[in-house]
Amino acid sequence: MANNHLTSESKQLATWYFTFAAILFGAQLLFGLVAAIQYVMPGFLYEILDFSIARILHINALVVWMVFAMFGSVYWLLPDETGIETIGIKIGKLIYWVFVAAIVVVVLVYLLVQVGPADATTIWFITEGREYIEAPRWADWGIVVVALTFVANLFLTGIKGKQTGIVTVLMADMIAFAGLYLAGMFFTDNISVDQYWWWWVIHLWVEATWEVFVGAIAAYGLITMIGAHRKVVEMWLWIEVAMLFGSGILGLGHHYFWIGTPEYWWEIGALFSALEPLPLVAMFVHVLYDWGKTQGGEEARGSSASVIKNKPAFTWFVLNAFGNFLGAGIWGFFHTLPQVNLYTHGSQFTSAHGHLAFFGAYATILIGMMYIAVQGTNGIKIMKHTKASIWGVSMVTGGVVGMTVALTIAGYVQVLVSRAQMGATWAAYFDGQSGSWFTQAMDWRLILGAVTFSGFLLLAKDLLTTGKSPVHER
Amino acid sequence: MIDPSVVRPEIALDDFLPIFVSSALVLVFGGIYVGIYTAVKVKLLKPWTMVIAYGFWMLTAYCLYLMGSLMHVGEFTAKALVVAAIGLFLLPFAVYYMQNQVHEENEH
Repeated sequence: MANNHLTSESKQLATWYFTFAAILFGAQLLFGLVAAIQYVMPGFLYEILDFSIARILHINALVVWMVFAMFGSVYWLLPDETGIETIGIKIGKLIYWVFVAAIVVVVLVYLLVQVGPADATTIWFITEGREYIEAPRWADWGIVVVALTFVANLFLTGIKGKQTGIVTVLMADMIAFAGLYLAGMFFTDNISVDQYWWWWVIHLWVEATWEVFVGAIAAYGLITMIGAHRKVVEMWLWIEVAMLFGSGILGLGHHYFWIGTPEYWWEIGALFSALEPLPLVAMFVHVLYDWGKTQGGEEARGSSASVIKNKPAFTWFVLNAFGNFLGAGIWGFFHTLPQVNLYTHGSQFTSAHGHLAFFGAYATILIGMMYIAVQGTNGIKIMKHTKASIWGVSMVTGGVVGMTVALTIAGYVQVLVSRAQMGATWAAYFDGQSGSWFTQAMDWRLILGAVTFSGFLLLAKDLLTTGKSPVHER
Repeated sequence: MIDPSVVRPEIALDDFLPIFVSSALVLVFGGIYVGIYTAVKVKLLKPWTMVIAYGFWMLTAYCLYLMGSLMHVGEFTAKALVVAAIGLFLLPFAVYYMQNQVHEENEH
């Protein structure tokens, strides 16, 4: 990304974060593709890059690229919202390089060392072994330092500059986001207690703090891209915070059904999980409302021109409203009540939900923010679609939706065969996976994974080149 | 031979597909309900289409009932589902009212 139109160091740092996020996004898809091939051809890269390692890289790269893009989004919007340069930006830049170096080392250790002696050395230097947050302990502490610096940048700037609703929400949200990471940094002897705390990181990130972050970014995006009224957008943001935290925090209960926690979590999980889709439906209303009102206001003034100032970004933001509703809402609600979760838990249903929810709720809006950064970096007044952006968004979205459908079919087979008919036994597990519906679903998952990766290449090309394209209005 | 003690009898085999379809339709119909409601309010659709919106909410409520019945949910969860149905009905009213009030205050 060229930076001749950047007005602040904070925005420059944001473009660095977005660049590394995009690289990790590519790595996530690549290792996902390797794991998908291994489902179809189990001997592929056997004892070179086993499924267990490809999967670690796939899901940890997912979390880390999103964290990078989230930090980038905050550094991008801070000068616009507060009216001042981010305070402590030099330390922010230094910490960025520390963060990048740490991630590169962790990835190299995963690739080259892979496994350890299963003692404290492994925990400190190779992997902590907790799904999604498998970084070794030295990197854990490094992440804490990075997160504290980021939070300090945000708080010092938020306190000194103009205090908008968006920045205030982000300040509260990011301190919770960073603080929750601590719940995944210690071990206990009891696996139930261990899992109890681990879910605090995973669930309270993705179904509380990350969703609120998305609300704040959607608010910023709607103001930036379609000129939505700030007071309307910010009022909505507060409602969303209340709804998301109101249902999301105790929605944690749906992860506590089968880990050895007391049975009252069934009732808590059922009630709050049933309510969790409501804010997602409301988000959908919000985008439709703001778009309709702003475009309607423009037409009432006699103009038929579109109010959208960045079409690729707006496309990704609209996909976010739909994707969040579909992936987190529908695919989550499918199997959230304990009565049915007894059968679906840990099947490919979970994987289908994970793919569409992470993509729909987070990847979409973060890619949208990357396009907003490209627009700002290149001084573009009205940013339009290019062929690569249209193909990129279509192939990535089509690929992920297709993978989700394939995984849902595979999950359905597992529910019927491995759980309902054969009672979740060892033999049932293998019988469920050897049926033709399951294996064909996995073939389709691989094909559509390849489509997603090809779409990503087009998306990356577009992000790198669209800034200079003559199709935009400057 | 499958040991009968490991097979969970709570949900009949033929009921899984209706459960998954009806739970998906809860949010599909619910989304259409709030979508039409909002579109009518921002004048993208004609007012008479509001009847269709309420029709979709009734379908939503029916799907919740069907899903809960087939899953054999307990008394507490049944109440939670009723609360969710009512919440979904009131949601677009509340959100639209609040958004509109803020809009009016800032434009007039």
